Amino acid sequence: MEETNKQVPVTVLTGFLGAGKTTLLNRILTEQHGKKYAVIVNEFGEQGIDNDLVVDADEEVFEMNNGCICCTVRGDLIRILSGLMKRADKLDAIIVETTGLADPAPVAQTFFVDQDVADRTKLDAIVTVADAVHLSTQLTDHHEAEEQIAFADVVLLNKIDLVDESGLEVVKERIKKINPFAKVINTTKCGVSLNEILNLDAFSLKRVLDVEPDFLTSDHDHEHDDDVTSLSFVSDTPLDMEKFQDWFSKLLQTKGQDILRTKGILDFTGESDRYVFQGVHMLMDASPMGKWPEGKERSSRLVFIGRNLESMNLKEGFENCKSA
Amino acid sequence: MKADTSQFPALDKTKFEQRGTEFKLGIPVTNAVAVGNSIAVGFGDGTVRIFTSGESSEPIKAHKGIVLCMSKDGDNILTGGDDGRFLNISLDGKINEIGNFGTRWVDHVTANNGSLVCSSGNIVYLWSPNHKEPKLFEHNSTIGGIAFDTKGRRLAVSRYGGVTLWKKDYSNKWNSSELNWKGSHNKVIFSPDGKYLVTSMQENQLHFWRLKDKIDSAMSGYGTKIKSFAFVDDSKYLATSGAKEAVCWPFDGDGPVGRKPICLPYVGNKLVTFVEPFPNENAILTGLSDGSVFLSEIEKASNTIIIRSFTEFEVSAIAVTKDCSHLLIGDMGGNILWTSIWDKEKK
Repeated sequence: MEETNKQVPVTVLTGFLGAGKTTLLNRILTEQHGKKYAVIVNEFGEQGIDNDLVVDADEEVFEMNNGCICCTVRGDLIRILSGLMKRADKLDAIIVETTGLADPAPVAQTFFVDQDVADRTKLDAIVTVADAVHLSTQLTDHHEAEEQIAFADVVLLNKIDLVDESGLEVVKERIKKINPFAKVINTTKCGVSLNEILNLDAFSLKRVLDVEPDFLTSDHDHEHDDDVTSLSFVSDTPLDMEKFQDWFSKLLQTKGQDILRTKGILDFTGESDRYVFQGVHMLMDASPMGKWPEGKERSSRLVFIGRNLESMNLKEGFENCKSA
Repeated sequence: MKADTSQFPALDKTKFEQRGTEFKLGIPVTNAVAVGNSIAVGFGDGTVRIFTSGESSEPIKAHKGIVLCMSKDGDNILTGGDDGRFLNISLDGKINEIGNFGTRWVDHVTANNGSLVCSSGNIVYLWSPNHKEPKLFEHNSTIGGIAFDTKGRRLAVSRYGGVTLWKKDYSNKWNSSELNWKGSHNKVIFSPDGKYLVTSMQENQLHFWRLKDKIDSAMSGYGTKIKSFAFVDDSKYLATSGAKEAVCWPFDGDGPVGRKPICLPYVGNKLVTFVEPFPNENAILTGLSDGSVFLSEIEKASNTIIIRSFTEFEVSAIAVTKDCSHLLIGDMGGNILWTSIWDKEKK
């Protein structure tokens, strides 16, 4: 997913029914004067969309026929994005509104798997609109709600005027536990500055360099096995590239269904470049990202968001990758 | 056809460019279809232009955004667009709206003997001659492609998981049967002899079925998705895009299983984006990702002629007039070349 100017940014709006996705969408469309947007919606949308260019789609999740069981893509997005790229006038951005029960993984994976889509568009960010009143219940009842938080680059915690302060803290704790990297923005009626949700370039490898795992002390005691949680690891000892690749590829092959997102910056023995990667389930975008900055300590940082992470012996696996 | 490599790989204008007419319209070309000795071209701004004898008609405002698909219907053309409209357009620019599906795109159109067909979402709509209301064929997923066989008695509809084959019995009732193969199938075509059905897939491969015994197999080894493919010389070869050469699979005899394809013309590191059979010959026109176009004889690759040199934009349409006297090339940068095929002295 190399960046070029020709790639049209795609923002994905997820969130449960009633959280306020359409309110946010209409806000984007009315506030961004003079910009040309295409909006891809599904037919079960909540209310009217105020835009010239609205495309109706069915959320069709396709399995790729490549032996990778969790490699699913959104067929409707491939078709529509490829079509939109034939337009004479260039779009400033494309916004995809998903249904409340949509899993964001196939959407994200589409940008890894389909070459036409990856050449001409780029996933800018996944923005999840969450209802501060109902999110806790939804997280308990629906896997999809957890996944929408787990995949989010930004969580718009909406309707905060309807919960008290302690209630708000509980919800925010819950979000942090699932996804400590998402930026949480408190809003009422989706009132947010658009530069906090658009043109974030959140899926570029450059942005992985910003990852700061500062939650190592978080408490993972009282979770159900299938709750989505996150784990991160840091090592000041350089890693052995071969050992790491061996461990990590086996891990994704066998546990890729439970590992929702990964990000990492890696310091390999004998390599002067930083290695950066980010992934969705089994799919990975990785590249050397230039030399380590002068005067800054070299260290490897690795982050997982997923289910059953405690059962994967991640700490042990990572420790074993350290150069002897 | 004689080899003419005198201008290859020089960057000067080819003799076809010199004697042809070039149009720099700046609007992506999405489709081109020959109707008699005219060629209708669809664009990424929703317009259609008719090219005749090297001249372009005024743009016909057919669709709001993009002409997504185009097909011939007798002396007219059919188009489908991102404005949800299914149109029949005459060469003098008269537009007749056959169907309107609102915010749902019309992804595919085709016609046979006055029956008009389009697909929108997971439904195929068929208007029989003199019927105002269409017949609906529903499928389990969005439709990837539609195709009639030559006689118009069978309609193939590709979809997620394979192809649904609709057959009209002699009481004009349509019955369906399923040809299943895991994965998402896009464009579908019949071989002109009606023996084979071929689809391109979301994966970088094609799939074919031999219809008499339902034997099926994949054709793989491509570096990218195969967006353009067509049968050449009746049904002798299947020419395909998606690699650095046009990959031509033999479909004569027992078909392609266990046989090697012929690959041509190799002209460097560019990807083949469009293939168009040259009518009545065992030859193909090959359009590349840099805009260049070559004409090659399949069984004599040395007989390759450069038709157009590069424009930097991928070739997205090639069409040959019915009398085989002229051809039109269009690309994603909106460059069009109309040129005669034969030297005047020879013809």
